[in-house]
Amino acid sequence: MKKHVITGGLLAALAAVGTATAHHSFAVFFNTDVKLVKISGVVQDFQLRNPHGTITLLVPHAGRNIIWRAETNSPSLLRRRGWTPDIIHVGDKVTLEGWPARDGSRYMRLKSAIGPDGKPIGQPLG
Amino acid sequence: MQHTLHACRLLPALALIAATLSACSPHAAAPAAAASAPVAAHPDFSGFYNLDMKVPVDRGLMAKVAPDTVLLQDTGPVEFPRGEYGGLKLKPVALEKARKWDPKQQLSIHNVCRPPSIIYAMQGPFPIEVFQSERFIVMKLEYYDMVRIIFLDGRKPEADYPHSMEGFSTGHWEGDTLVVNTDHLEAATITNNGLDHTENARVIERFKLSADGRSLLSTQEFEDPAMLDNRGVRFIAWTRQPGQHVYPYECDPSFAGNYK
Repeated sequence: MKKHVITGGLLAALAAVGTATAHHSFAVFFNTDVKLVKISGVVQDFQLRNPHGTITLLVPHAGRNIIWRAETNSPSLLRRRGWTPDIIHVGDKVTLEGWPARDGSRYMRLKSAIGPDGKPIGQPLG
Repeated sequence: MQHTLHACRLLPALALIAATLSACSPHAAAPAAAASAPVAAHPDFSGFYNLDMKVPVDRGLMAKVAPDTVLLQDTGPVEFPRGEYGGLKLKPVALEKARKWDPKQQLSIHNVCRPPSIIYAMQGPFPIEVFQSERFIVMKLEYYDMVRIIFLDGRKPEADYPHSMEGFSTGHWEGDTLVVNTDHLEAATITNNGLDHTENARVIERFKLSADGRSLLSTQEFEDPAMLDNRGVRFIAWTRQPGQHVYPYECDPSFAGNYK
């Protein structure tokens, strides 16, 4: 008799996240048990290259600018959702929301981004 | 436009690979009888597919899975957190290695563009593209630009055939189901959280089309007695999307400098 051991009801929260796995573990690096981080600032750098795109943001904080970085989903997947290498420009004022790094660094995994025109950047996962 | 041009370059290149592989085998000679099997007798898997998490687990494929095999529920975007292995029974050596695993090593220049083996790569939420011929099937994964060749002509690897993340794959048809056996894998992750397989891991995959022909269904069983007391299987399904092609991945290791 064949026996299949099935683990049920596993990681429903992570399943709903809609992230894409890549070289490093999302579950290990990012915290889905806490409130999403939401920051606004000025784009200092934007790279749309695999394994992840990166948005570097200057964020005003206590009278000075601090640097936040957000990594995106795989750029080859994002291209199918309207992202291009010039969809974000240096100097753009944007708002980013995502899952914070578990180690407390100013680093997040991007969930959504709002551009200078107040509209979402790219299309949502669908 | 850029991707259309790339696809135009890629497709002839894969066709050339197919022709070259047919003409000059890098492996031992294939039995002539197997090579003459009519392709029309088998389902055509050719096409571009996106991972589809909405396709229910296929009972027919699961019925063929070996005993003492756990169904891992981490296909697609889901990942197990540290210390969770979805029912796999780890040998002490595997458990100890997983405990000592340093995830930040994944973000080193050396590792950031290092692909996983097919044991982890196939279930990722990336598209695949299948090119099918009579003697072999080429499976291009968008994830890390991986390319698998599944030989259908009965050839065997040479004694010194190298191990790789794709391994050496041979396939045969059992009715409408393609059964693929893979070995010669390089050691790599199983669950992306510290559990690795060795270079002696073996994989059995079964592929078939859904009843409506739109989806490619598969089970991927793996075993590695050096690391696991039981076996694992993932059910993976992709749905065909005509007119699309896999994009280049072209991993950039400079990403490693971002995580500070």
